Amino acid sequence: MPDAIVLRGLTKTFGDTVAVRDFDLVVPQGALYGVIGPNGAGKTTTIRMILSILLPDRGELSVLGHRSAMEAKDRIGYLPEERGLYKRMRVGQFLTYMARLKHADGADLRTRIRSWLEKVDLGGVENKRCEELSKGMQQKVQFLAAIIHRPDLLILDEPFSGLDPVNQRLLRELVDDEHRRGATVLFSTHVMALAEQLCDHVVMIHRGDKVLDDEIGAIRARYDPRNLLFEPLDPAADVSALAQIEGVALVRRDGAAWDLTLAPAASPAPVIQRVAAAIAPARVELRRPSLEDVFLNIVSAVSASGDDATLRAAVRDNGNGRREPRP
Amino acid sequence: MKKMLCVAQREFLATVGTKAFIFGILVTPLVIGVLILLIPWMSRQDPPAIAGSVAVIDPTGQVTTGLAAYLEPARIEQRRREAYQRIQDAMPSALRAAGGTSGPGAAAGQQAVGSLLGKVPQLTVVAVEPGADVNAAKASLTAPAAREGGADRLAIVIVHADAVQKQPGAERFGAYDLFVRAKLDDRVIDEIGDGVRDAIVGARVSQAGLDRAQIEGLTTVGRVASKTVTAEGEGRTNEILNQLIPMALMGLLLMSVLMSGQYLLTTTVEEKSNRVVEVLLSAVSPMELMVGKIFGQFAVGLLVLALYLGLGMIALLSFASLGLLDPALILFLLIFYLLAYFSVGAFMAAIGSAVNELREAQGLMTPVMVLIMIPWFLWMPISRDPNSVLAVVLSFVPPISNFVIMLRLASSTPPPLWQTLLSMAVGAAGVYASLWFAARIFRIGLLMYGKPPNFATLVRWARTG
Repeated sequence: MPDAIVLRGLTKTFGDTVAVRDFDLVVPQGALYGVIGPNGAGKTTTIRMILSILLPDRGELSVLGHRSAMEAKDRIGYLPEERGLYKRMRVGQFLTYMARLKHADGADLRTRIRSWLEKVDLGGVENKRCEELSKGMQQKVQFLAAIIHRPDLLILDEPFSGLDPVNQRLLRELVDDEHRRGATVLFSTHVMALAEQLCDHVVMIHRGDKVLDDEIGAIRARYDPRNLLFEPLDPAADVSALAQIEGVALVRRDGAAWDLTLAPAASPAPVIQRVAAAIAPARVELRRPSLEDVFLNIVSAVSASGDDATLRAAVRDNGNGRREPRP
Repeated sequence: MKKMLCVAQREFLATVGTKAFIFGILVTPLVIGVLILLIPWMSRQDPPAIAGSVAVIDPTGQVTTGLAAYLEPARIEQRRREAYQRIQDAMPSALRAAGGTSGPGAAAGQQAVGSLLGKVPQLTVVAVEPGADVNAAKASLTAPAAREGGADRLAIVIVHADAVQKQPGAERFGAYDLFVRAKLDDRVIDEIGDGVRDAIVGARVSQAGLDRAQIEGLTTVGRVASKTVTAEGEGRTNEILNQLIPMALMGLLLMSVLMSGQYLLTTTVEEKSNRVVEVLLSAVSPMELMVGKIFGQFAVGLLVLALYLGLGMIALLSFASLGLLDPALILFLLIFYLLAYFSVGAFMAAIGSAVNELREAQGLMTPVMVLIMIPWFLWMPISRDPNSVLAVVLSFVPPISNFVIMLRLASSTPPPLWQTLLSMAVGAAGVYASLWFAARIFRIGLLMYGKPPNFATLVRWARTG
């Protein structure tokens, strides 16, 4: 089975700016890949090159076994970041048009459109003009336009931006459905928490360079957790004993809980036992590194100029999933 | 190919289905057509004929009778019949054939002359004693008008004492004064003035002991229309149609090209500013999108062309002169519409793709518009002299060649066949060049947001694209 996407040494410059530099990527068929990185990292440029909307200056690519996405357009679904609708067109007409452009105008197209609209809670809007819909509704229609022809490869550029939590979840389920159906999914986001929840493989881009390309599980394993999260059963409990426990190097308050940094040589399991024995816990757990942490880790390693707070802000969408604020 | 047709179909339906198109393009000509039918009917509903008296103060005593005879309704009517006949004689044969000497055409012609001159006024001439008070007479002109068929005083004519016979030693004859009621129809004033002059001339002639009929016979030479001598024989020169039909055909060509070009620009800008373009580009290539859009608007222009051409042909048909339009011209019109539209339309699509909103397009449009308007400004010299160096040279400069050659083809001396064919070839080359230019700009421009490019940037895009 050929890989869905293969990129080799892809480079694209705009004037003096190198948008993407020597980019290699292999996405196997049936995978669910997330491309993450802050705004301006080169995600959209990469996606546009995959789709042959932009031509790379250098490098080779293959999409669904073809030398160019042009030859496989009908098998690809694409939701661009800059998405729009024909304002005066009716929703049903628009979806029919998009399906016909993808050569998917079977006899059952009308029924299919209607059932899709119902599935995303848009039953009855078929004859409304696109401009009459709310922004969230328009976004759902745009997503339907990307999948109406049952693509083998689904490429979504920032699919979750601008959606409320309810619709974010709906969209996540739809993407999952497509993935389960067998479609290869590649999506980009600057919100790392979303990628963490959704995909099984992550590619990180920073300033046009690929800085990470790995399975979520492998990433987690590689970035060995060195912190524990501890929350006492009794919020008023005296926690001064924590600092004395063997293997704990540093104790910091983190909201209602405490963040314990392990001593350099300490193994987590005995420390957890000792903590639980010292003070009755509501919860004590290994603090897994989030993608955000991993990203910051990598970026500060590759570029000394990394301003931590700025980068953190760039990859975090307020209210979109971080569990707790970090000091 | 199927995708291109799909894009073209959407483009066509989205343009033709708008209210602006339906009302602007389809309903307007219908309204004009209805008005053309209604206006003659409405103008037939004339006001009643003007009636009243003309006072004449005539110290010579020789003018009043002549004036009274001149203003008799029967005489007025007879003069009008003669005038109409003269117009008929002077008209080019083709137009006269269009009007016909009998039937609806002739009736319409007579009616047109009738409505131009108004109804025959009922005027009575009243002689006033030469010694009468002029001011008192004038006062009667300001008296309130009697309503229906009143015998209002409409005018006062004061003939000078030396109008018929010169004062001893004077170089010139005297004339007359004419005072009229306010808001009197100017056609009636002219009629009275003409009458007074005619009566004075008559009086002078008989005073001099001459025969007026003889003088008129000596001084009148009939006007004749020129005849064109061609290989097929002699024909009447019809200068008006020589210029009208070419102009109409070129105007139609220009209008359809500009209109569909403008629509193409608008829809392209709209797709770009709506950000729908990237969605489309995931389904079709930029070339397919551009060519599909161009074809869609081509069909729109063709619809407009067919509609107005059809209206024009119906108009010609109703005057039984459809034969004036050579069927070959319609074929040429379609060919040159195709060439002109594709070369102009490609530019419009390119410009539309390069800008972010319609306002920014104006600056880039100006050179294109100026270029297209050149044949419009030059239609007079070209149609006057369709084989001049200017006309021949412009026939080979795309895209204006398409308009110029159309103008020449419809003129009375069409260009030789080789020129027509060469112009077509040049036009086709122009289409190829502008499509090439446009395709390169289109591809880059569609995804380019921000500062609108100038013409130099477009050229750079085309070179590097």
